[in-house]
Amino acid sequence: MKQMFGWTGKILRVDIGSGEITTEETSKYVPEYIGGKGIATRIAWNELKPGIGPYDPENMLMFMTGPFTGTLVPTSGRGSVCGISPRIYPTPWFTYGTMGGDWAAELKYAGFDAVIVKGNSPELVYLWINDGKVELLDAKEITGFDTFVTQHRLKEKHGNRAQVVCIGPAGENRVLWSTIQHRLSNSIGDAGLGAVMGAKNLKAIVIRGSGGVNIAKPEEFIKVCREKAEMIKGGATNYPHPTDLPYHAPIGPGNQQCSHGCPLGCGVLYKNIPAGLTVGSGTRNMMSHCEDYAFIEGEATTKYPPDDIKDIYNGDMYTRGTKAFGKSMGTELQALCEGLGLTSAFPINYYPWFWVCIDNGITEIKGVKLEPDDPNFWCDFMKKVSYREDEFGDIFAEDLMRAADELDLPPVVRKAANFQFPMWGQPAHRQGRAYESQPDPLWINTMLHWIIDSRDPMACHHQSSFIAGWFPPHDEGHGGTPDSNMERLKEAYKKAFGTAEGLEPGFDNIDGKTKLAVWQDNRAQIKDSLLICDWVFPAILRTFTSREKYIEAEDYYGDIDAEAKMLAPLTGLDIDTDFIDKAGERIRNLDRALHIRNYDRSRKIDSSGEWYYEYPEKSDGTKLDMKIFDAVLDSYYRFRGWDKETGHPTRATLENLDLKDVADELEKLGKLI
Amino acid sequence: MASKDISAAVQKSGRIIHNPDLCRGCRICEVACSAYHDGICSSHLSRIHVVPDDLALEFPAHSCKQCQYPSCYYACPKPDKSMSIDSKTGARYINEEECIKCGSCYRACPFTPSLVWVTEVDDKKRYYKCDLCRVREDGPICVEVCPRGALTYEQRGKSK
Repeated sequence: MKQMFGWTGKILRVDIGSGEITTEETSKYVPEYIGGKGIATRIAWNELKPGIGPYDPENMLMFMTGPFTGTLVPTSGRGSVCGISPRIYPTPWFTYGTMGGDWAAELKYAGFDAVIVKGNSPELVYLWINDGKVELLDAKEITGFDTFVTQHRLKEKHGNRAQVVCIGPAGENRVLWSTIQHRLSNSIGDAGLGAVMGAKNLKAIVIRGSGGVNIAKPEEFIKVCREKAEMIKGGATNYPHPTDLPYHAPIGPGNQQCSHGCPLGCGVLYKNIPAGLTVGSGTRNMMSHCEDYAFIEGEATTKYPPDDIKDIYNGDMYTRGTKAFGKSMGTELQALCEGLGLTSAFPINYYPWFWVCIDNGITEIKGVKLEPDDPNFWCDFMKKVSYREDEFGDIFAEDLMRAADELDLPPVVRKAANFQFPMWGQPAHRQGRAYESQPDPLWINTMLHWIIDSRDPMACHHQSSFIAGWFPPHDEGHGGTPDSNMERLKEAYKKAFGTAEGLEPGFDNIDGKTKLAVWQDNRAQIKDSLLICDWVFPAILRTFTSREKYIEAEDYYGDIDAEAKMLAPLTGLDIDTDFIDKAGERIRNLDRALHIRNYDRSRKIDSSGEWYYEYPEKSDGTKLDMKIFDAVLDSYYRFRGWDKETGHPTRATLENLDLKDVADELEKLGKLI
Repeated sequence: MASKDISAAVQKSGRIIHNPDLCRGCRICEVACSAYHDGICSSHLSRIHVVPDDLALEFPAHSCKQCQYPSCYYACPKPDKSMSIDSKTGARYINEEECIKCGSCYRACPFTPSLVWVTEVDDKKRYYKCDLCRVREDGPICVEVCPRGALTYEQRGKSK
């Protein structure tokens, strides 16, 4: 094998049904598909044929890294897991998740760019990867253990420097919203892939590596990585983000980076949480992010509709913010959740839904009294779900959409479930309008990402939230007026794109907005393939370490060429931003083709989330003329090179992205147009 | 036996100090160290090893303390040729061209784990340790890249 730079050069293939362990060369897939989600999508296209379900042995769980993983690139320690997810509603389909931590870097140091797990094992096993040596070992002794105890026991056996990704009881019991867990709170959560790991009977992957990632031009690479680390130094959300939430705090002893190689600190640490609930979570420490605060601070989502738009609200939909249980109890509930291996974002959607039940006269479900304001209710809820205990636990283990299908509910309560999980069975957050608003016109991008993606579009969502910080009312403390702040943002856009098109409010320039949405989505593929931080890349904006520095600064532009500038000296390949943009477009189109071939994805399916946008906007009560939805989608498809009627990529689009074989196969199936 | 001039060795060297209370285990120091010295990003080949316990939230790190009267130096069969002392920084460093890979320094290190590291390249042992980036103009790269100020460089003769 030729020595590679950036990539280790080998992909590990494990069939845990037969025990067969093989390797293949990464060079089959790179540089075209880059890594992470990109390579996984190509492998899925090649091998995951139509008709394969999430729990079938043919389904593959792909643990992916990218060329940046394990290197000096700032924020580069992330890894991705891809596969067919049972959580996607109504049709389980191929999707992806990304997470931080140290496992992805360790996997590369062990000599592998990815681990592709196929087959279902008859007994619970775990995979031990020790440099080139790979073994499947019996997991009998850790069966049923929570994710912390599992990590402790495996580290006792394989050394403290080994990195562990694992499932808890929830994953073992194929709970649809179970996680693949690592460290305290790094997880593949919303993707629903913990259940696939459970179906494969794979309790954990333990990794130890003493190798490294070769750099083609070390001196240049170190220099450019240092520059880019400086550019993002203010952190994901520090400045100019104006809020005072703990996870937006400047870097300090109380917070931690989420991944290997990250100079930021967006995770807030809790040490020695008082064991008030005595829930037996297996840890008294925790790292919290964003929605983990649902039960700590409360009001993780807001009330909808707010009082001032009640008159125009059409009466059949409402929701409320979560209740605050305080720092110790809230954190403890989170710890229990991470330990059981459930996605910790769940309270923001389940809490308001249970209240809708109560408000409509449903005070108990399957013999369990609904008491969402009592932390013990949530304790019971998580335990019952994780062990599929009683009918109650079993029903909600299938997640809210499928549970609502099972239960005999009044229409308003049934619809409220859909309001909380509006598309693809994914939890509502930042759809752009109604109760999860984004500033005008950013919401148009956000909406497009939701309807085009295979899950909640995290990578795009974080980028939008980042930019949203510049819009009123979030721009308080920016030191200027809303107009002058917007001027500064526009200047940065002009430096990035040569134009500030797409930032104007309203629908005057739909093309400007959809073009920006296409670019953002392409770059989201890149983020999940390289892999790097959702928040700070692509760096249209730089960040600052204090508000003063931010206000005094003259230039706010980051560097949207940063990815190419770091990838070129790392790999020694002739890579520029055009290559990056095209690779992003290729990955998105291949993902689209896969969903067309396997799941009949079409304009009709894209539009199935349209209903959500009929609800009046929270901030000003405006209602959307739904005709605009079609105009926006037409424009988006045009920039994508997709057919207006079907939403399928054309042959020219696919061939232009070196996907002729994909076009041929779609044509053979009659699905090209 | 000819007497040797070991005055340089007994002088206090510059050193890198790690503060585990500020460290959060991002390990950027490791990848920067190995990238600078070997053109590779690796925690094993780094001359500083951060061994975070992410569950206990403890973040210890191990790297050479650049001892006075360094045991590794006295143990080396080729002192000043293989195990050497840098006249500018005071760094105790291995001149890999002269090193006969006997492992004496590795075994002589008074710390556990040994702060001289060993790896195998093509079935041959290779020993390496922190050299305070002695030829790097801007000083130790790990100190420069640490985002939290958990690493500090105390220059030779400047300690209190």
